Amino acid sequence: MNHFMIKQFNGLDTATLQRLHSLGLQVGSDVQAVRFYPFHGPVIIQVDHQRIGIRYQVFKLLTGGDPS
Amino acid sequence: MTTVALLGNPNTGKTTLFNELTDKYAYVGNWTGVTVEKKVGQIRHSHTEVIDLPGVYSLNPITKDESVVTNYLLGNSPDLILNVTNASQLKRNLLLSVEVLELGVPVIITLNMIDDLKRSGHYYNLDTLSSKLGCPVRTTNARNKEGLTELRADLVCEQSEIKPNSPLKLNYPMMVNQAIRQAADSLTKDYKIDAKFAHWIAIQYINHNKVVRKYATIHQLKPLLSQKAYYDAQKFEDQIFETRLSFIENTLTTATEQLQSTKHVALTSKIDKVVTHPILGLPIFVGIFYLMFKLSFDWIGTPLSGYLDGFLSGPVSTWANQFLTQVGALPMLRSLIVNGLIAGVGGVLVFIPQIFVLFACITILEDSGYMSRAALVTDRIMEMIGLNGKAFIPLIIGFGCNVTGIMAARTIEQPKERLITTLISPFMSCSARLPIYSLFVAALFPRHQALIVLSLYFLGIVVALLMAKVYHIIFQAEEHSVFIVELPQYHIPRLDIVWHGTWDKGKGFIKKAGTIIFAGTVLIWLLSNFGVSGYVTQIDQSFAANLGQILLPIFKPMGISTWQPISALLTGVLAKEVISSSMMVLFHTSNQGALIAMIGGSFTTLSAYALLVFILLYIPCFATIGTIKSETGSAKWAAYSVVSGLVISYTLAFLIFQIGSLLM
Repeated sequence: MNHFMIKQFNGLDTATLQRLHSLGLQVGSDVQAVRFYPFHGPVIIQVDHQRIGIRYQVFKLLTGGDPS
Repeated sequence: MTTVALLGNPNTGKTTLFNELTDKYAYVGNWTGVTVEKKVGQIRHSHTEVIDLPGVYSLNPITKDESVVTNYLLGNSPDLILNVTNASQLKRNLLLSVEVLELGVPVIITLNMIDDLKRSGHYYNLDTLSSKLGCPVRTTNARNKEGLTELRADLVCEQSEIKPNSPLKLNYPMMVNQAIRQAADSLTKDYKIDAKFAHWIAIQYINHNKVVRKYATIHQLKPLLSQKAYYDAQKFEDQIFETRLSFIENTLTTATEQLQSTKHVALTSKIDKVVTHPILGLPIFVGIFYLMFKLSFDWIGTPLSGYLDGFLSGPVSTWANQFLTQVGALPMLRSLIVNGLIAGVGGVLVFIPQIFVLFACITILEDSGYMSRAALVTDRIMEMIGLNGKAFIPLIIGFGCNVTGIMAARTIEQPKERLITTLISPFMSCSARLPIYSLFVAALFPRHQALIVLSLYFLGIVVALLMAKVYHIIFQAEEHSVFIVELPQYHIPRLDIVWHGTWDKGKGFIKKAGTIIFAGTVLIWLLSNFGVSGYVTQIDQSFAANLGQILLPIFKPMGISTWQPISALLTGVLAKEVISSSMMVLFHTSNQGALIAMIGGSFTTLSAYALLVFILLYIPCFATIGTIKSETGSAKWAAYSVVSGLVISYTLAFLIFQIGSLLM
């Protein structure tokens, strides 16, 4: 499975940042990408036994690398 | 009276717990943001009142419904807070608990959905959790009624018996602690604010809580306001978050116990493999909706409606007629009751089976957890029109009733996206529009009933999405849309929850039948039995006919050739259900079969479809207009929704009829 690490939160708008924090995500969190939707649609990630859908752009920002 | 406030993250089973604990039930759903207003209930045989607050991730609100909680805590002091947490996601649930514990109000934390946790192969030592957090910790599983008796015993106690909690004190970095202490001290000294509350307000203010900052500005809390720039420049917010998270991680590590057996049932993952499939997800979504319509219109709803209609227009109507003749009632009164009320109100009541089946399907989707998946698979499409998948949920709820749909839009984070969702909601075909569709499809499209109705629903969605795109361009909404959606564990829908949810959504329909539809029917009966010369026997001379005939030239280009449907449309603004009962009165029929035959005679398939499209999109009902006004806070938008609905519906119906006539 695809494992990623959250590298940074820079560049996110405050509401998204705040929500991700509330879900317990922080720099260093281990994120498992469960599913990518086509056409750069949302990404399902699994963190701390919870599954969350986020936008592809957000995912890319968080992991700071090439997620493909 | 003891007041207990129920507070917790979304998807923690809070509302289920509330329903189990109290006499009255609230509406339950398995997707984020079902409780959009706070609900109050009472624990059986006790003086304990329970308040169910909307689910929030933190006390710093992003959406409108989340601010309900913070405002509640600022303005009220409950005797006890029951913090409901999802046991398998304790880490993030405790982020909220910490904020609540800092308030110093007595708190009980319950680890709900404890079964899911056990299945994942670990457990928490409750004593360790309790001593670290400084409050009692219980375990429950509301869906199986596990641990509820114990919990109820904790809640049913007199105010004086509740043990006070001292506020949780975390080890924030020195600078933060100092800032909190200084602000709290001077709030207590100079503003006579209770020390605990002052401490909490100071933390929340420093932590950039929008509602608390507004509260401080309104109350002119200078010690906080003067330091605002300093707090923000020092990034205290981040430091507070980090301290809280490391406290929680530390607590959980100490409290975790491994269980022997790890029979992890990956039911959710298995279902999700199919349901959220990147390519199959969307067809499955469409398929589920098609199935829902098949159930409501072809398989269960319509046959049941037929029986009900047979009963109302047959025995009930005949019996009432005979009874009234026997007691010697005036012919006018008899006409009002038999041709007006029984035909009109009854004509709406016969749709109860269809509407309830539809509501049951929506409730099953909500309770099972599918709704958030629907938000996910539709997000890419919604992104194209500048909204996000979450806006899809209010729109789907709008299929039931536009009013609840618009209320559900409160969970959308961006204000502009919320406004757009509100404005396009009336285009979603609500259940009240069903009776009239059913009549027309039965009259003119007997072989393709479900398909034609489904096409109207899809047309509604398409118009809504196109308008959303237009608004998005006009409003120049921000590029960034907040789309973070939680995918909860699937639950097998529980029969009583489905029934409660269905009843909760459907009871309004029955209530309306007794009030506004009743009134509308009487009104239309009066209009159709009186004319300029008083009581008329010929309906062609009635006010209703006059009104319809005046407007007829306007409606001619969309294929309407008789005045009856036009007068019926006017009454539809009261409530959409009234259209069909008005038709019943205006065409002078007392049963569905006769009305269907009349409609079949006065419309062609094309003009009928054009009229249905017009009905789908024209002026929203009074209740919806009122909700748009209250949710947007402006009468301007309410008026706008009336005008835009009229323009769009007329244009489309006109085009369909004119282009269709050329082709046929």
